Parts: sequence; C-alpha cells; structure tokens
Amino acid sequence: MLPGTRFRIALAAIAFFMSANSFASSHAPLEVDELAPGVFVHVGAHKALDAQGHDDIANLGFVVGTRCVAVIDTGGSVRTGRALLAAVRVRTALPVCHVISTHGHVDHVLGNAAFRGDGTAFTGHANLAASLERSRELFARDYADDLEPAGDASAIVAPTNAVTGTQQLDLGGRTLTLRAWPLSHTDADLSVFDDASGTLWTGDLLFRERLPAIEGSATGWLAVDSELARLPGVRHVVPGHGAITADLAGALTRQDAYLRTLVDDIRAALKRGDAMQDVIVKAGHAQRRDWQLWDETHPRNVARVYQALEWE
Amino acid sequence: MARSSFPIHAVLAAALAAVLCAAPAARAIGEAQQPVSGMWEALRGQWYADTRIDIAGDAFMRLEVPSNTPDPAATPLGIRFGPDAIGRVRQLRIVVDNNPAPLVATVALREGTPVETLDLRVRVDRYTSVRAIAETDDGRVVMRSTWVKASGGCSAPPSPAAGGTPGEIRLRGADDARALLVSVRHPNHSGFQIDPRSGEAIPPYYVSSIVLDEGGTPLVDAQTTISMSENPSLRIGFAKALPKPIEVRVADSADGHFKAAWTGGGDATAP
Repeated sequence: MLPGTRFRIALAAIAFFMSANSFASSHAPLEVDELAPGVFVHVGAHKALDAQGHDDIANLGFVVGTRCVAVIDTGGSVRTGRALLAAVRVRTALPVCHVISTHGHVDHVLGNAAFRGDGTAFTGHANLAASLERSRELFARDYADDLEPAGDASAIVAPTNAVTGTQQLDLGGRTLTLRAWPLSHTDADLSVFDDASGTLWTGDLLFRERLPAIEGSATGWLAVDSELARLPGVRHVVPGHGAITADLAGALTRQDAYLRTLVDDIRAALKRGDAMQDVIVKAGHAQRRDWQLWDETHPRNVARVYQALEWE
Repeated sequence: MARSSFPIHAVLAAALAAVLCAAPAARAIGEAQQPVSGMWEALRGQWYADTRIDIAGDAFMRLEVPSNTPDPAATPLGIRFGPDAIGRVRQLRIVVDNNPAPLVATVALREGTPVETLDLRVRVDRYTSVRAIAETDDGRVVMRSTWVKASGGCSAPPSPAAGGTPGEIRLRGADDARALLVSVRHPNHSGFQIDPRSGEAIPPYYVSSIVLDEGGTPLVDAQTTISMSENPSLRIGFAKALPKPIEVRVADSADGHFKAAWTGGGDATAP
C-alpha cells in the first residue's frame, strides 16, 4: 500500500526536523556552495591520503530535484558522509534516492555508509563492486578510524545499481546522465551530467592543482580526456579534486600535459631498456612545478605506467 | 612527512653517500651492525654454515631499494657492483626477510662475467630487511642490506597491467649495448592472492627461472620464486658491451618453457 503524497510530505517534514535536531548536535553540516540552482558542491582540501584531514580531500556534493536528491561522492569517512548528509538536510527535506560513486577510491566512497536507508540506491560503474571488493581489506585496515564501527569492513557499501554505457536518473524536474568510462583513472570511472544546469561531475577523470593519480591506464585516460572535451552543453565542471571551472577544455589540456609527458618519457626510457627505478627518478619531471603532492603520487604513477607500457 | 622525501631526496642522499664513501678511509662495518632476523639466521646457517660474511662497502656492492616503495607488489630493487666485485661474483642471492618466501632469486654468473648492475622487481609483504649476498670466485661471501617500509605486496590482487599471454618475452637493449632488459609476461601468482570476484585463493603459478645463454651455455642463470613481481623483469648491465647473440630461456612452475633471442639493438619480441 503506497502512502499518499501529503502523508509522504508530512513524513519527510518530520524526518527533516528530527534529523536537523540530531545532526545539529553531533555533525556540523559540510560547507557547500550552490553552484547553480539545486546543485551543491563541497570542495575538498589538497592533502595526502595519510595526512590529518585526509577524509575530506575530494569534491563532494548533491543535486536536488523536485522528487528527490542525488548525492555524488561521500568523502573519505563515515564522519564526512554524515556531515554531507547534514548539509543536504539544511537545504531540503526530500529523500536521498541515489548515492552515486564516481569510482572506488577511499576518499570518495567511505561516507556512503552514512546514507544507508530505505529506498536509497547506491550507484556506480559496473566494475565498482569488484573494485571495492579488491580494496575492502585494505580500507578496513589502513582507514579503520574512518569507518563506523572502527575497522568494520561491512561499513564499505556495495553498489546496488551498476552502470554500463549510460544511464539516466530522474530526480523530478531534472535528469542526471551517468556515463561509465573505459580504463583510465581507474577501471570504474563514472561521470555525471545534470542537464538542467549544464554541470558535469567528472569524478577523478579530472584533477586540478593536485597531481592526477593513475590507477588504471595513462593512455586510456588520454583517450577518455579527448572524449570528455567533446561533451556538449557543459557550463560548469566539478573535478574530482580542485577548483570548479567553466573551462573544461583548458583543465583537460593541463592534465593531459602531465599524462602525455609521463607516457612519452616512459616510452623513450623503455625503448632504451632503462630499469624502472631509474625511470621513477627521471620521468615526467618537466611537469613537477605545475602540481601539488608530487612526491606522494608521482613515483607510484611512474611505476604503474612503466609496468603497463612495458607490454604495449 | 617521510613519504614526501622519496624519490628525489633519497636519490640525492644516495649520490652524496656515494661521493662521501669514495673517501680513502675504509669503512669497517661488522656483520653484527647489520639487521638480523630469525629468518635470516636460519637461511644463513643453511646456505653459508660458518663461513664469515663480510659487509659490502660501495667499492664492492650497493643495494638500491626505495625505502617507501611506490608499489609493494613491484618494488624496484637494484644491485650495483663496484670495481672490487665486477667479474669476480659467481653467485648472488636476493632475500626479503619477512616475505613468506624470503628468497627472491639465486643468480649464478659465468666465471669472469663483468656484470655491473642487476635490476628486478620484488614483492614486499611487510616491513622488512632486504639483502643481497654475493659469493666471489675465491669463496668470499659479502652482503649488503637495507630496510623497506611496505606491506601487502604478496597478497595484492593482479594489477591493471595483468593479462596477456604467459611466457611472452620482450627484450630491450640499451643504446650502448651494455644492458639488456628482459620482461616476461606472467601473472607470477604468489599463492597468497585472493580472487576478488570468487573470494577463492589463487594458486601459486610463477616464473621459476630466467636464463641468459650465450654460445650455448648460461651467462646469467636466475632461479626465481613467488617473491618476484607480476610480469617479472630482469635487467642485466655489463661493464662492457654484452656478447651477442643472447638466448633467453624462461621456465615456470607449471613446466612452461619459453624463449627469445636478442641479436643486438632495441626492441625484440618473441612469443
């Protein structure tokens, strides 16, 4: 038996006041900006994955329709997820119908547990489930304090809705178009486009200021970037890390400069038969001054790309 | 943060240390000053019995491993032989103390072979000492060790670079023909990995030897284990031009046998 609309509104209102009360005491809402009507973004800080505040380094946010809310990435701890939920509740009493994960990295997904509840779908790339399974043990061990209860691997939420190709989500009055991408930043990258505002959420397919981390394929990523650059109707871009921009092409060009330099340097080194260790020291350094967190990320990128290009 | 000092600072420090160590004062380092572990004591007794083990200075051998590895499942490890060792080493063992299989490789060199550098990639399961132990043609045993902070390298799931045909071999020669990079396509399953989809343990399946033959006999013979990384890699650098042609033979734990020939120059590929 479905409850009537007025009943649902009343329930939502009760839930709103109850949650507003409980969150006001223990969870200050995450700071969000309204980028466009109904589009809210929280910009994370550029910190290392083992630094203080490492659970708030990715860009997160939500889109509000007339029927329900979609949350896009939830941060690197259940704590951050709750603070994001509190921010949602400050703006609307509508239910959260979708939690969308742009990929399976720790700084984007650990907050998902804060949104578990009736009727919330957890959506991601078709490869997201396997990606999270691979990482489950590592997350529970290395990010124990970011889970509730601490170290509980079951607080890592498995997706309930897998995207292959594209999928549309109707929030009422606006439609989100999700697109699953081939191997690039990871093997489970998903972008989100809001047609009403022209906002593109790239997830970690776009890094700004912070050095891109390559988990999947540098060459695959370059190919994906050239497709992203051709997407029509993009007025706002929310990268996975770094400042929001209206200039998608410019941001991609800058990112591509790093990826291209890395690929070219490593190809040349492999042609000479250089050992990986020497290549880690030398490759890509022309790009060094353009990026933050270089030492934390670049050596691993070289190791990954070297091992992939060894077999192209 | 310590992590941020790799690699540039580590490399500068290594370069500085190399310069400082060129000073005439000989460094007297006793074996007692090197890290010990129960595993190492057991292996030492088994392999070298009561033979004295000298500690290598830079004139004999350096061991280069990043202390904060960029990839625990494929940690680069480099041996750099100095003038006191080149042409005199007949066997080299590489050991990662705290791995489930501590011995990574036993490398036998043909007498007089002027190997200057040897590079490979290893799995590092947890914080550990890493050692290279060389035996010279006059029976001396010389060791160098270092400490590596890493974990999870033996149980890490297959990487995005996994796949391809096991046994495919790529050979890449340096421009001056003094080094050869041997890359072997192989999952090198450690036996400690879990298939993320099925939850089942993946059985061990690994490259057991990589041999470089010249003139019909082994020049470099590496017997390898599960502690080598996925897609095992072995790079041999000589103090002079490599002889050619070199035939590379690879065997694995499932009795697979693969080979490829290098006749000089850059890329050479063989199935």
